[in-house]
Amino acid sequence: MLFHSQAFILGFLPLALAGFFLLGRLGGRAWALAWLLAASLFFYGWWNPRLVPLLAGSIAANYWLGQRILRHAQSGHATPARRWLIAGITCNLALLGWFKYADFLLHIAAPNAPLLSIFLPLAISFFTFQQIMFLVDSARQQRADTDVLTYATFVAFFPHLIAGPIVRPRYIIPQLLAPDIAVLRAATLTDGLLIFLLGLAKKLVLADTFGGFSDTGFAAPAPTFVEAWYAVLAYSLQIYFDFSGYSDMAIGLARMMNVRFPLNFASPYQARNIAEFWRRWHITLGVFLRDYVYIPLGGSRSGETRRAVNLLATMLLCGLWHGAAWRFVLWGGLHGTFLVLHTRSRVALPRPIAQALTLIAVVVAWVPFRADGLDAALAMLRGMAGLSGIALPKMIVQALPLLGEFATPVPLLPYLGDARTLSFPEVSACLVLGWFIVLALPHVHELSERTRGWALTAGFAFSVQALFFAPHVAPFLYFRF
Amino acid sequence: MDDTSQGSVQRRKVTEVACVTSLRRVVIACAASLLLYAAVTALVLDHPLSNGFLRNQLDARLDRGAATAGPKLVILAGSNGPYSHRCATIAPTLGRPCINAGVAVGIGLDYLFMRWKPLLHPGDTVYLPMEEAQYPRARAETALGPDASIMLRHDRITLAALPPDRWAGAVFSTDLRGAMLGAIEMALVAGAFHDPRAAATGETNAWGDHIGHTPGLSESSVAVLAATRPHHPTAAQIRDGYGTTLIIGFIGWARGHGVRVVGGLPTGFIDSPAPDDAIAAIRAVYVAHGADFLELPNRSRYPRLAFFDTPEHLNEAWQIIHSVAVADGLVEILRDGVPRRGLAMAPTPAATR
Repeated sequence: MLFHSQAFILGFLPLALAGFFLLGRLGGRAWALAWLLAASLFFYGWWNPRLVPLLAGSIAANYWLGQRILRHAQSGHATPARRWLIAGITCNLALLGWFKYADFLLHIAAPNAPLLSIFLPLAISFFTFQQIMFLVDSARQQRADTDVLTYATFVAFFPHLIAGPIVRPRYIIPQLLAPDIAVLRAATLTDGLLIFLLGLAKKLVLADTFGGFSDTGFAAPAPTFVEAWYAVLAYSLQIYFDFSGYSDMAIGLARMMNVRFPLNFASPYQARNIAEFWRRWHITLGVFLRDYVYIPLGGSRSGETRRAVNLLATMLLCGLWHGAAWRFVLWGGLHGTFLVLHTRSRVALPRPIAQALTLIAVVVAWVPFRADGLDAALAMLRGMAGLSGIALPKMIVQALPLLGEFATPVPLLPYLGDARTLSFPEVSACLVLGWFIVLALPHVHELSERTRGWALTAGFAFSVQALFFAPHVAPFLYFRF
Repeated sequence: MDDTSQGSVQRRKVTEVACVTSLRRVVIACAASLLLYAAVTALVLDHPLSNGFLRNQLDARLDRGAATAGPKLVILAGSNGPYSHRCATIAPTLGRPCINAGVAVGIGLDYLFMRWKPLLHPGDTVYLPMEEAQYPRARAETALGPDASIMLRHDRITLAALPPDRWAGAVFSTDLRGAMLGAIEMALVAGAFHDPRAAATGETNAWGDHIGHTPGLSESSVAVLAATRPHHPTAAQIRDGYGTTLIIGFIGWARGHGVRVVGGLPTGFIDSPAPDDAIAAIRAVYVAHGADFLELPNRSRYPRLAFFDTPEHLNEAWQIIHSVAVADGLVEILRDGVPRRGLAMAPTPAATR
């Protein structure tokens, strides 16, 4: 079930909220959490009910392991705690590896072997990381003791189950343990609803609009300069609005149920350097990688060379986490390289130049991430470099004859928008709007309530249009990861 | 009640008021958004180039239909009507006036039929070489076609006569892209923008035929046409389609008003024909409901070089060839008043080579 589907908004959500608050009022916290867990498992099973036992089994096994690790750690038995921790992390990664990376690894080891074609369970990357955090925090004694119902609700909690945010157990579990968790509070309900609706607009109105443009551009076998740049700029907006929209919806949904999720996006394209970008983009993943991969690897404690190796390793893992394909590894490698260069750089650039350079690096790195393969990525990069020619619509060249000096006039660009006469100004105007929003405006969580109201006024009707009248619903991009 | 509890009650009241205000603000923002959207799309935003072009085409044909006396032939279809058929060729053969009234495949058939019904009289004939995509087109898709915003902005009388789902579709037919495009079109028109489409694709004559779409103009489409793989709906999709339902409804209306309906096949690539069962399903839409059906021996299939820019659009030379065949077929059908299929003249072998 998608957050931006009619079934979720008109059916599941009202029922889930009503049951949660009603049972909270009548039976207390435990009944409310039990309802929430049942609703979350139903939400997960909507796609494929056969995968619910996998999720439930994973939760049960990790709870048992986490409790065992915690007991050993609390008793001062560090060695058995570490052994159980290693066993737990290994089992989780093995499960993730089997479902997500078996074919990838098999292809590397034996390129001619037939693929296993294993079905990838939805959200496995997210709930695996979530539970590894639980195990590590257990070993570090950085979490409170908890009952199985609270733990299961924490992992399966539908607002973050499918695509995050990746929330730390010690941040969420205490909230779920609060006795008044299921007390209806109009303020948080309204606040959550507002954030949810703004996230919905980001996804349905903005992300899907730019998704249409980028899909067309990335389908081009040899895009020309304008087609290539427009496709990549559109994709950069699509993935931002899609994932930050999803995160806002998740934050809003949790807020409605008195749970606060951490911020996941903070105007990342306004970052002045690549390190700042990663402090603003998918913040919860960045924090996870920093605390559970980069720092355990040694972080920056063992000299510059080791730091560079740690950064590269962390970002390669980050790329691989996004998908079992070389193009994701390349994307991670590019970001790792950018981070290493940034740490070694001693030049202080003026803010606009620093921001522009960071943005160009991020945008270019999206090419392998989005392209269907390395060949397609190369074709797109060639197009962006102008090696596949520079073509512009005839009507534009006629209006601005100077452009004719370096651009070939064509009746229309076949991989731009709907390849109509007016596609060029249409896509241009949409891109200007999108980039204005991400570069010049504060993000949703920085806005005052009044400004959020104005933003809702601007976007709500378009959301209704897309939700009830658009011909199809595009899934969230991060559902694939 | 002591001071502490009084203060607590007061604080709670203040909080409740703040919550209600906050909730009211969300509701007001949503309502304002809907009202603003409806007002702007119904009263301000327009698409003078894209929809305006279609509206002008539609209105010009309707005007001609209204001005034409006596039994006439009206060709209703998508853009394949004007591109692949030529009333200027058909009318003399048939000996009756002809109006080429198709405009675009996206125009809802309910809207098209609604506009034409008042202009059809006993003795008139309507030829329907509908594009394949018009049969299975879903109701929701129909509600969001270009005619939705045309009606909302310029033809609310027709909109009011259509079912309520069409009203909702018309109000909510504009997405962000549509809004942006509308603003751009309005700005271009205000700036006396010269629409390049006439020079690029040809123009329309007094009968409603598209003319001037010569092979020379289609040179830039040759590669696209060579790579095009037409999508053919299945027989089941045709049988169950909402477009089919609308066509059957129109046939029923025509029978009740003395208007003769003749179905036909759209043009298409000879190397990528529609499956036989799909063609049979199209034929059945007409024949099973008391209409005639004209099926040319070549099933309106031509080599790719005969086309202008899509599999539905013949270029001008082949438009004339096809129209001669259609005219001969219609003469056969209309002469003796009984449906006769497969009797029309096929284009000459030299022409189809």
